Amino acid sequence: MKKRIAIPILLLCLALVAAACSSDTDDATTTTGGDGGSSDTTTTTEGMTEASVLRAAITGDEDTINPYTYISGFPGWNLLMMQYDSLMQLDANGEPQPWLAETVTTNEDLTVWTLKIVDGVTWHDGEPLTAEDVEFSLEYFMEKATGRFSRDLSSVEDVTSDDTTNEVVITLGATNPSFDLVALADVPIIPEQVWAEIDTPGEATYDISTNVGSGPYMLVEYEAEQFYRFEANPDYFRGAPQVDELVVVVFADDSGALAAIRSGEVDVNFERVSPEQIDLLAGQGGLEIAQGPEFTTQMINFDASKAPFDDLAVRKAMSLAIDAQDIVDTVFLGAATVGSPGWVHPDKAVYNPAVQPEFDPAAANAMLDDAGYADSDGDGVREYDGEPMAFELITNSSDSLRLRIAELTAEMLAEIGMDITVASVETATWEEAVWPGFDINNGRNYDIATWGWSAPIQANTIRVAELVNSDPSIGFLNLTGFSNPDVDTLSAALLTEADEAAFETGIMELQQLIADNVPFVMLAYPDGAYVYNADVYSDYEFIAGQGIVSKLSFLPDSARP
Amino acid sequence: MKLFTRRPGRRPTPKVAKRLGIVGGVMISALVLMAVFAPLLAPYDPTERVGAPFQPPSAEHWLGTNDVGQDLLSELIYGARVSLTVGIVAAIVALILGTTVGVLAGYYPKRLGKVLMQSVDVILILPFLPLLIVLAAYLGRSLLNTIVVIGVLIWAGPSRVIRSQVLSLRSREYVLASRTMGAPDRWAIVRHVLPRTALLATGTFVRAVSTAILLEAALSFLGLGDPLQKSWGSILFWAQSRGAFLTPAWKWWVLPPGLMIMIASLGFALVAFAMEERINPRL
Amino acid sequence: MRRIGLKNLDRYLLVFVVAVSLNFLLPRLMPGNPLALIAGVDVGLMTPDERAEIITAVGLDEPLLTQFIDYWKAVLTFDLGFSYKSGRPIVEMITERLPWTLLITVGSLMVSAVIGIVLGGWSAWRRGKKTDLSMLTGMISLQSLPSFWLGMLLISVFAVQLGWFPSFGAETPASSYEGMARVGDILEHAILPIVTLTVLSIPGVYMTMRYSMLEVLGSDFIRTARAKGASERRVLFGHVARNAIAPVVTFLAIRFAFAFGGSVIIETVFSYPGLGRLIFEAVSGRDYPVMQAAFLVFTVAVIVANLVADLLYPVLDPRMRVE
Repeated sequence: MKKRIAIPILLLCLALVAAACSSDTDDATTTTGGDGGSSDTTTTTEGMTEASVLRAAITGDEDTINPYTYISGFPGWNLLMMQYDSLMQLDANGEPQPWLAETVTTNEDLTVWTLKIVDGVTWHDGEPLTAEDVEFSLEYFMEKATGRFSRDLSSVEDVTSDDTTNEVVITLGATNPSFDLVALADVPIIPEQVWAEIDTPGEATYDISTNVGSGPYMLVEYEAEQFYRFEANPDYFRGAPQVDELVVVVFADDSGALAAIRSGEVDVNFERVSPEQIDLLAGQGGLEIAQGPEFTTQMINFDASKAPFDDLAVRKAMSLAIDAQDIVDTVFLGAATVGSPGWVHPDKAVYNPAVQPEFDPAAANAMLDDAGYADSDGDGVREYDGEPMAFELITNSSDSLRLRIAELTAEMLAEIGMDITVASVETATWEEAVWPGFDINNGRNYDIATWGWSAPIQANTIRVAELVNSDPSIGFLNLTGFSNPDVDTLSAALLTEADEAAFETGIMELQQLIADNVPFVMLAYPDGAYVYNADVYSDYEFIAGQGIVSKLSFLPDSARP
Repeated sequence: MKLFTRRPGRRPTPKVAKRLGIVGGVMISALVLMAVFAPLLAPYDPTERVGAPFQPPSAEHWLGTNDVGQDLLSELIYGARVSLTVGIVAAIVALILGTTVGVLAGYYPKRLGKVLMQSVDVILILPFLPLLIVLAAYLGRSLLNTIVVIGVLIWAGPSRVIRSQVLSLRSREYVLASRTMGAPDRWAIVRHVLPRTALLATGTFVRAVSTAILLEAALSFLGLGDPLQKSWGSILFWAQSRGAFLTPAWKWWVLPPGLMIMIASLGFALVAFAMEERINPRL
Repeated sequence: MRRIGLKNLDRYLLVFVVAVSLNFLLPRLMPGNPLALIAGVDVGLMTPDERAEIITAVGLDEPLLTQFIDYWKAVLTFDLGFSYKSGRPIVEMITERLPWTLLITVGSLMVSAVIGIVLGGWSAWRRGKKTDLSMLTGMISLQSLPSFWLGMLLISVFAVQLGWFPSFGAETPASSYEGMARVGDILEHAILPIVTLTVLSIPGVYMTMRYSMLEVLGSDFIRTARAKGASERRVLFGHVARNAIAPVVTFLAIRFAFAFGGSVIIETVFSYPGLGRLIFEAVSGRDYPVMQAAFLVFTVAVIVANLVADLLYPVLDPRMRVE
């Protein structure tokens, strides 16, 4: 009888072994794993710089991609900006440069911005794009809420335009040093002749005929949840794009998109690939990886308003005990930048290189010993106020990389006598604990938690004030309940600092203050990595913090800023 | 839906059934031994990072390492603990619920029984897997929740089987006698009914373990269990979420835990089969 | 018979009521911010005003009973609302997904019915012999296969390593296939999911068929037919198989309901764009309205399958008809 049970199992095993053996040859080339993803796969020498049709993968539908319908901040906004232009455009370093506005001048205290619009630009329908269109666009977004663009323009008090000189003057209610970055390089300019007729954009129904822009691509076909077809705009004011037709295919998930690029069904993936895929994909067929810095963050939060985290010694010790480099190497397989304890990404112009991550568990232990957190009962766990230093580290279960971060953090904190239990909870529960009701005035219901901010907060460096200022009207994202008078004064002052040099000195100092006072533990800024088929097209531009999904990737080099 | 349909195998000679049961018993014992002696058998602590991530099999790591460098063989050995525990505890939950409802519904077939059976029917008809996923999503991830969700959803089948047994016991002489003598119902149930349903209940229990092991694996695989608990299902969850099954790593990362799940589930299924053959007088 | 059908109808109504009530209650009973549960991922980025607006729009400020009644009205008028992720009408999303799930579940059910009935019948005919016993053991083993694991292995072996079949999706994306080429493309994508579901369905069909056959083989009229000197073949096909098939069909209807629910796992493994995948995407993306609507559709499908089983049984079973 035993033999008979074995038969079906045996057959199954035989089939599997046969399959396993048949593939032994490719193991050698595909099994790379352990040495991390840091190998240099970014540059390309013999790629293609022109293509007639390029097929790109995204995961998830983006509706009709006009300013009122696009869905995600990435890559939805990026696809929107293929069709539209902003007044300024980010260059490869992520710095705003003149674009639709050929010159941008400001007054002394950065409250009046004067923009000269490029002459002779036309919309996709042939109408001329004028200063009046610019005024119309800004006023339209300010009147009719869109979320992102209305918020970008919230500091604007008045807009005037002059069609004869083709100039626009924007007056702000208060000094806003980053207005160029957050507004001018973010808000699309829309044609008056199309949008003037739409009174309530939030309720209107759209088709692709609404998508008249001035950008290098025009949307010509859209099948919901299936694909978008964009055609190049040969009359684009910076020069005709190098790819004639862009087909963006909608996939249900990452694995579908990955399988499609492996099989050659698509030529580029507009979604980031996960760290473990980088080495596996690079070098398969014509596949290459464009990898570069991006501005999302991974960090550890704690409730700094209560014991023992209200004690700087404890926060500092935790920061010393957590090996961010190990997390980058193990979880991200090297495809991330180690977090700077001063919050600012090392690729930012205002990064303070004097602020460096430190890993020194021995010093951390000494620090806790000195501060009186002894392990009096010898169970390997220190005590505070008579309680063992045993805490729950909560993390959202839907993010598997973050789960691993939590696991590693717990392991590292054990080395300094903290007993950490990882609790993986539903995302809603996690958010509700760290950020109850999404309003910091409701307090906090956690001890330690994994956290991460999306790219816009890092992209605009001064937004760090929102994370560390203890005045809830300024620091409305201060989720750790951190409070330090020096940090408060400096961060508040920098918000309205009009002088560039003074701002730079101040932000350097703020980074040191943040590193010294540890409002949170910075772990990493995961890199963006995009896979593309270099045999089809390879002239992508990686914008720091933004990735390759932008019009720059498809314009001739001469047209890029 | 019918997780507990009677195995209708008619007359495979009892000897064969018994042999199958023994084979199942051997499989279960082997796994239980593996779970108990995991610290002795496993080469490493499964939670410790002992190598580089994503390593193929080598002399130090027979099944390679996972995405953070933990030893996959050690995870596999320790995995028996969680998988068997969840399977058995969830089945105990189902057994308690199912027996209670089954006995009550069988002993008081009038009003109470009808209401109880109605709810059993409702549970049996509700789409099982979608409900499991919806419940797990709302409750959040922990070992306890996994056990509760599985236990609460699989008791209905057994309760039906037990009810029909109790229904027939109810009219037997000794029960009737104890009732006419004025003994309280509780006494009749405990003294006469429960012992005579024990064997049947055990049979459905063993089958429930087999089902629960598969369900735990499925939930963990979908990421709705606790992914940091070392169970076979969670090994497969990480294999899926870090793309291992699309690489040569499937041979050492995907294949072994699935085989373990199959052996565990099959072991209990074979024992249940043998027990049912014994209980069921049709043979 | 009709009375039984109606009696079951009550039960199905009750199931429906329970499912709808669960849908309504679960998000409101669970810990966490109900707003996050109902408005989805972007709550954190909204201003307090925007949040208040949503609370009013969804009616969260109404008394629970009013909300409950409104919820029922919406369900009964097929007004399933909009997805919080894509903003699309949920009814539209479900009608897009449903055909794919039906394709793989019905497809696998048909294949497994043929294989299960043949093997089950053969097994019963050879009762107690070696073939019967080894087949029986094999089927018990198949029942212990974790479905998702089988799917993963099929992908690893046949899609990734051998490259015979696509590893994901229901069609080649943005392809211009038409007519037969498109049918071929769809079939190519459906084969692995169908094989997985089929392997999982065969044991149940086999067991039901085998048992039903044994029952019939042991009954009086077969003995009469044999005694009358009918040939073995005539007895097998003319009498036994015909009479044994009714429970199998009933089983298939119920198995359909099960396979339909099981598509959650299979479609997740194969990234197949059906209803099961939709519910899983909704769960992981916290798109609760979609999750609830999909769960409702599953419930209705199960009820319909059970109803069909109830109605088919008396039609198929010749003995029932004679009565």
